[in-house]
Amino acid sequence: MSIMQYNGGSTIAMVGKDCVAIACDLRLGNQALGISSNFEKIFAMTERTYIGLPGLATDVTTLHEQLRYRLNMYTIKEERTMEPETFIHLVSSTLYEKRWGPYFIEPVLAGLQRMPGGSFRPFIASTDLIGCINFAKDFVVAGTASEKLFGVAEGLWEPDLAPEDLFETISQTLLNAVDRDAYSGWGAVVYVITEDKVIKRTLKGRMD
Amino acid sequence: MFLTRSEYDRGVNTFSPEGRLFQVEYAIEAIKLGSTTVGVKTPEGVVLAVEKRVQSPLLESSSIEKIMEIDTHLGCAMSGLTADARTMIDHARVTSQNHAFTYDERIKVESATQAVCDLALRFGESVHDEDAMMSRPFGVALLIAGIDELGPQLFHTDPSGTFVRYEAKAIGSGSEAAQSELQDKWHSQMTLREAQILTLRVLKQVMEEKLDHHNVQLAQVTPQAGFEILDEVRLKEIVDAM
Amino acid sequence: MPDGSYERPQQRQFNPYSENGGTILAIAGADFSVIAGDTRQSEGYSIQTRYAPKVFRLTERAVLAVNGFAADGNMFVKKVKQRLEWYRHAHAKDMPLRAIARLIQTMLYAQRFFPYYVYNILGGIEEDGTGAVYSFDPVGSYEREACRAAGAAQSLVQPFLDNQIYFKNQTPAPGASHPTHLPLPDVLSIVIDSFTSATERHIEVGDGLEIYVVLAKGRSTQELASIGGLQELSTRAEGDRMFVIRRDLKKD
Repeated sequence: MSIMQYNGGSTIAMVGKDCVAIACDLRLGNQALGISSNFEKIFAMTERTYIGLPGLATDVTTLHEQLRYRLNMYTIKEERTMEPETFIHLVSSTLYEKRWGPYFIEPVLAGLQRMPGGSFRPFIASTDLIGCINFAKDFVVAGTASEKLFGVAEGLWEPDLAPEDLFETISQTLLNAVDRDAYSGWGAVVYVITEDKVIKRTLKGRMD
Repeated sequence: MFLTRSEYDRGVNTFSPEGRLFQVEYAIEAIKLGSTTVGVKTPEGVVLAVEKRVQSPLLESSSIEKIMEIDTHLGCAMSGLTADARTMIDHARVTSQNHAFTYDERIKVESATQAVCDLALRFGESVHDEDAMMSRPFGVALLIAGIDELGPQLFHTDPSGTFVRYEAKAIGSGSEAAQSELQDKWHSQMTLREAQILTLRVLKQVMEEKLDHHNVQLAQVTPQAGFEILDEVRLKEIVDAM
Repeated sequence: MPDGSYERPQQRQFNPYSENGGTILAIAGADFSVIAGDTRQSEGYSIQTRYAPKVFRLTERAVLAVNGFAADGNMFVKKVKQRLEWYRHAHAKDMPLRAIARLIQTMLYAQRFFPYYVYNILGGIEEDGTGAVYSFDPVGSYEREACRAAGAAQSLVQPFLDNQIYFKNQTPAPGASHPTHLPLPDVLSIVIDSFTSATERHIEVGDGLEIYVVLAKGRSTQELASIGGLQELSTRAEGDRMFVIRRDLKKD
């Protein structure tokens, strides 16, 4: 069994109209044994940049701390917040540093990119465990339920969803995908990021 | 017929020059020595009745078994060499169970009858690769009653492996008189109750002893209860009512 | 060695199985059944053919979809059809759907220790006129369901079906309830969406789509009137009717 499936867990991000959403399940497992139903895999990096870190749980914590450290150094030195498109490159280079002994994480990122005029552009991306970036225009998925997430998302997602519709779409996608994955589930968390606010909702899911 | 006996009546698989299989014909004769057995079909179900010849007051009449269950929806009454019927009914039971196992449905009455008749023709050959051969034709005729998607049905089989569907049929020693009585009294819209009484009346006419609930056996197949042999209490009630 | 012999013991192995990709799917309605499959057949990264049917008409009211190892699948269908003909001769009727389902179980289990490497989905009309889907594993474990996907893109399609057919994770409005069976046009849309989605994300799915539709006796064919690529397969207008819808899927 792959180390990527050791603790289980899945993450997904989607683009909507002037908004993005990112969601993860809450399971932490030790192979088939469930350990925790309160293990969040999504972290707020800036006000408008959220990252999901599904994979090996020990690396979730370590990589999160590493990214936080590097992001803070950037903020202090540059005296500005990092934009999501910049951040995904930070993620990528951080992962590639460990090319021959990688963190077993496949990050998923969602954020709003500040444009020169002051407006915001939805931005999502994901990478593999050594930092190869995937700039998708619709949705990105990762984790033990990734195949299922791809299938459901491909069926449910459509362009230009309003924040509430995007919330419904990403929630249904995640919930139905993790219900068919033994290593994911046990509840979910969804973030919908718009220009003026971020809404975090905790979803009840099947607990089996 | 018996006066023209020749060497051709020995082998079970040898035709006589006239094109007859004597052993099969003799087997059919053997049935005419058996006790009378009657079957009647109605829209409500099929009734089977047999005479039990209680030769001795010391004989326990309940141990005479001439009606047997093949499956929940199939029953069978016999006349002739009743011991031979066990082999046939065993075969019918196995066929019926195999059908249910393989197809998850109840075997049709005709298919079960066909299976029995396939076996009836296997004399002179070994069955299921066994070494032992069936040396002679079965000396028994059966009335197979049952219900399937085509409704209630009654089949008659004889030792030649021929089977025919009947509305009402009598076999055994009193069959000639019984059959003509059935022909007189049977009609297509009989109730089950009428059929029960008719079969007993027909038996009563051809029996030497006085008919009571000890020397006859009655069974029926209905859509509600499937195959059932009526117990002495229910039988007595019908006997009293006839 | 120079004399043609080997220095070390050599091991040789023959693998009798292969996996030919593709996906199948079936959904039961109240009085109809839809059975579909793509037509791509592949081995590894190579496409062997863009048109190899995986869905087969068995009787007037039964359709079998077979996915996995194509050689086993084709032989299995051939043997099922042979058994159906024998049954027709022995019992003077077409085998009912649930009897076919049980027959398939016994045929698969008979090969318990050298299985047909196939996942079967049987769809059609039951004797009581209801639409039915039966799904099997390679050794004959089976159950009747409202819908099932199998094959290469099962993990993509099945959770989508859970959501769209069984309304999983959807709460009905207060006082309302989810329908147990969907109307035919909705089912056809879901089937087509499932396959276009699977084609988009799975390399082994694509090229063509065949959707068999079995309608119970007396059911209106109105809803099929506007469907493109429709062909009727039934020989009699009375009784159950069968149609096939052929569509293109992306070929990349």
